[in-house]
Amino acid sequence: MHPVRLGIQSITGMLAISLASFTVINSMPADPVAIAIRVWNLPATDETVAALRAEWGLDQPLLFRYCDWLTRFLTGDWGRSFRTGEPVLGEFLERLPISLSLGMAGLALAIVFAIPLGFFAAAHPKGVADRFSRTLSVFVQAVPGFWLGLVLLWVLGVQLRWIRLLAQDWTAAVLPILLIALHSVAVLARVYRRDLMETATQPYFRTALAKGLSERQALWRHGRCGALYALLAAVRSEAGWVIGSTATMEILFGLPGISQFLVQSIAARDQMVLQAYVMVIVLWMLVMNGGAYLAMRFLDPRLA
Amino acid sequence: MVRYCLLSVLAVFLVLGGFWQPYDPDAVDILARHSGMTASHLLGTDHLGRDVLSRIMAGGWRTTCVILAVGLTGFVGGTFLGTAAAVLGTWRETLILRCCEFFIMVPTLVVALTAAAIFGLSPLSAALALGLAGVGPHALLAHTLSKRVLGQPFILAAQSLGVSSFGMISRHLLPNTLPLMFAYVGNQAGLAVVAYASLAFIGLGADPSEPDWGAMVFEYRVFIFDHPMLMIWPGTTIAITVSALNWAFDDFQA
Repeated sequence: MHPVRLGIQSITGMLAISLASFTVINSMPADPVAIAIRVWNLPATDETVAALRAEWGLDQPLLFRYCDWLTRFLTGDWGRSFRTGEPVLGEFLERLPISLSLGMAGLALAIVFAIPLGFFAAAHPKGVADRFSRTLSVFVQAVPGFWLGLVLLWVLGVQLRWIRLLAQDWTAAVLPILLIALHSVAVLARVYRRDLMETATQPYFRTALAKGLSERQALWRHGRCGALYALLAAVRSEAGWVIGSTATMEILFGLPGISQFLVQSIAARDQMVLQAYVMVIVLWMLVMNGGAYLAMRFLDPRLA
Repeated sequence: MVRYCLLSVLAVFLVLGGFWQPYDPDAVDILARHSGMTASHLLGTDHLGRDVLSRIMAGGWRTTCVILAVGLTGFVGGTFLGTAAAVLGTWRETLILRCCEFFIMVPTLVVALTAAAIFGLSPLSAALALGLAGVGPHALLAHTLSKRVLGQPFILAAQSLGVSSFGMISRHLLPNTLPLMFAYVGNQAGLAVVAYASLAFIGLGADPSEPDWGAMVFEYRVFIFDHPMLMIWPGTTIAITVSALNWAFDDFQA
């Protein structure tokens, strides 16, 4: 697939999702005018209602409002939050770096740890690394990250006093990042191992052994690229999972990220924030998808 | 055999919570706050004197409803879309598959968040959202399985015998794909439990005052210094339930 085609597909997908989410979010039973009047303590007269409706274009047909919203969104006017009265873009720019760095750091850490773990698991089947990665993948599937985090806080923070609870500096982010990475490490290491094991059944692997390479050398030299390719394909789906774990981690550790803001906005039925959030998530997924795709293309020129 | 026993014990525990608990899960008994594990309160009581075991059982019933709703939504929707795509073929197949692929891209959490914002906070809306998010993968699987079955010689034989398209789907196609689809649904049940617990934990599962495993972990997290067992119990219940479900269904690797 050509990059241009990928770009066109991504943009079409983004438009489709934005239209779908705009329709769904705008057909919410809650009336934004009623919420605004209550939140801002405005007089609930007919004139106020009519003025607000006209100002937000709520008297226009849905498609017209969508086009209007899209042009504003693309030019950087993401509307105002009902709840805080601040521009949504500003609110997001304030919080997005926290969530983004949590997610990116977790994912990067997972890839860094998954490669050696998967490699040694493949080089020594039924060895320590293999058993460890297998146990880990069973473990992370059953134990939710937020609860594991809470238990760790209790053991390390309350019982052993190794970490400070309620730290306000960068150390507060260490445990969440490790927990986000933990789930992905298990998944990615298994993917990496499986692909390496497949390499070991190929005829060229036997040739490499016949040349005199040790099994480990042969796996690394001949299986590395192929396994990395499989790993990147798995990263694409793992990127969606990371959003979910980032959200629970932000709530658990009280980090002022985007998810915490979002949960509060949902309680207030803040439509502009919700819409902007969907767009940010879709953008993140598309960027991760595109990035992984470009790296895969670099690894396997046959895709070009 | 052992796994079926385990699964039935789990099912009995979960279903029992639907109509019987040792105490009323919402009954406040301020004199018996933080009683610890005693004979009358097996898992102790919380900061309002509510019986933790009763709350876990009540939460278990809600979780069961969520699992069933999630499974049913994903199973019905996915089988329908996937089989339709495989049978219809041509551009309609491409269209359905593309839509499913795009839908998979939107993370489960976002779907659930939007559903919570629109339909209000209830286990049903959370389950509906999780189920809808599962339709995409289910449809892709159903499509792959159906394609494989449609390539078999007996389909060709049935076609040359003049079997109607409805008979073809109901008599020849679905009996061959449904068992595998069903196994996949079971495979996803553990995932649904964790997803629902996560939603409840961030406050989007249901009314936070209702007993839900995730919401209980959230509610009891503040007692981490003095009464850590309060948050240990619901988390352990989640872990045991998910492990049992995964173990019972792990024959099938999608």
